[in-house]
Amino acid sequence: MDIIKFKNIHYSINSKLILKNINLNISHSGVTGIIGPSGSGKSTLLRIMNRLISPDSGSVYFNNKDFKEINPNLLRKQIGLVTQSPNLFEGTVKYNIKYGPEIWNEEINVSEEAEILEKAGLDEEFLKRDVSTLSAGEQQRVNLARTLANKPKVILLDEPTSNLDIVSEEIIESTIDRLNKEGIKFIIVTHSLEQTKRITDNLVFIKEGEILEHTETKKYFKQNNPQSIKNYFKKTGDGL
Amino acid sequence: MSKEKLESIVNALIEAIVEPEIYIRILLSLVLLGIIIALSFWKKVNIERSMTVSFIRGFIQIILMGSVLIIVFSVKSLLILYLILIFMCFFASVTVAGRYKYPGIFKIELISILTGSLSVISIVIFSGIIPKPVSGEYVIPLGSMVIANTMIITMIVIERMYSSIKKSKGKIEAALSLGDTSGNALKSILKESYKAGLMPSINRLAVLGIVTIPGLMSGMIIGGVNPVIAAVYQVIIFLMILSSAFIASIIATKLCIKRIFTNLDQLNMNLLFILEKEENNNR
Repeated sequence: MDIIKFKNIHYSINSKLILKNINLNISHSGVTGIIGPSGSGKSTLLRIMNRLISPDSGSVYFNNKDFKEINPNLLRKQIGLVTQSPNLFEGTVKYNIKYGPEIWNEEINVSEEAEILEKAGLDEEFLKRDVSTLSAGEQQRVNLARTLANKPKVILLDEPTSNLDIVSEEIIESTIDRLNKEGIKFIIVTHSLEQTKRITDNLVFIKEGEILEHTETKKYFKQNNPQSIKNYFKKTGDGL
Repeated sequence: MSKEKLESIVNALIEAIVEPEIYIRILLSLVLLGIIIALSFWKKVNIERSMTVSFIRGFIQIILMGSVLIIVFSVKSLLILYLILIFMCFFASVTVAGRYKYPGIFKIELISILTGSLSVISIVIFSGIIPKPVSGEYVIPLGSMVIANTMIITMIVIERMYSSIKKSKGKIEAALSLGDTSGNALKSILKESYKAGLMPSINRLAVLGIVTIPGLMSGMIIGGVNPVIAAVYQVIIFLMILSSAFIASIIATKLCIKRIFTNLDQLNMNLLFILEKEENNNR
């Protein structure tokens, strides 16, 4: 079953075409990776899925329901977005965790807050910490926890580990793996082929706003030599 | 306009022109112009010519304006007074639109200045805060100060809001991506923007009489009005400015938010692009 479907999607900004006739079915299960050179439209795809932007034409479906028929705010609650920069709100970790549920007048107690933090790989002690005192890795985990607090069905990750050290990257990846097994669908935009190999079940290769390939990750890496994939990225000016 | 009224206006004009003291004052004030020119010569700043031209031009303009004011001040018709105030609001909006290239800024300023200023001036007129029968003598100077300050303050608020939105784009989108509404996501930015616009006037109000004797009060005192009465009017004008500017700022920001966000609580990317381009052009 497909959780998100794109049908004939076009998107442009200031007359520049970013996405060209995107048709894509993203399955309900597993982790989907979106890879491609810089400026190919990967993040734009995520922003459309979170409805931060709307396509110029075409339709997007969530569980077979047209986005246009769903309240945009409610849709964003169900399809959460974790961006590359944490963009945490000034204040404590607790304030950030409670932000989403408070929009929806949902009560969230201390043990639930601790549970959410634990899911994101942080312990309860962090609740009282001011976000300005956190390391980049910790901030990104709070970013993930903030999205988790909304109990989304899908989490979109836009290069979540690109600014992190190896240890923080490992923690985020194991968190994704664990939460995916608990039933949350993950769609991750990444620059790293290694990361794609490690954590995704299927991948979408996008270039210059067009989907070139959508296949199982294992199959893709079996059929393509890693060096040739890297070269392909390099040819497009990407700094892999 | 009745014949008698016209005669009284002409008399007032003649009275001012034939007053010998006024020419002595002008001649004496030329000493100050001489000092500026001498300083310019001495420091080789080379502003003698432009200073003299500006002085003559400004002098003629202000004398002509003074003559117009004699006519305007004698107006007792509320309709004409309101038309004059509306013209002033219109002119203020044209001025702002010429200076700031934000999309829709003329309409935004016109609606907000008209609503803010005219509602506050109306309260002052109809509540009896200014003496009745109402005439241009009170309404126009008070109105001009309210409109001018409302124009300045709303622009400070709008500028601050736009620049904060550009700076905090990531955080705003983080709030939106969690399902928040645009109004809620901007709460703290709006609070800061209102403060930025209103605080200078609030601070001036706090030091009133000790650090500053503002224009209106000085003018009234020089004109022979009892300083206590002049002080009361000064406080009234500050309250008028603050209330008008606050109302106008709320309306202006509301109208701007409607443009910068879509009805789906999304940031209008094309508008943001225009704003960034405008900022780069101003640098």
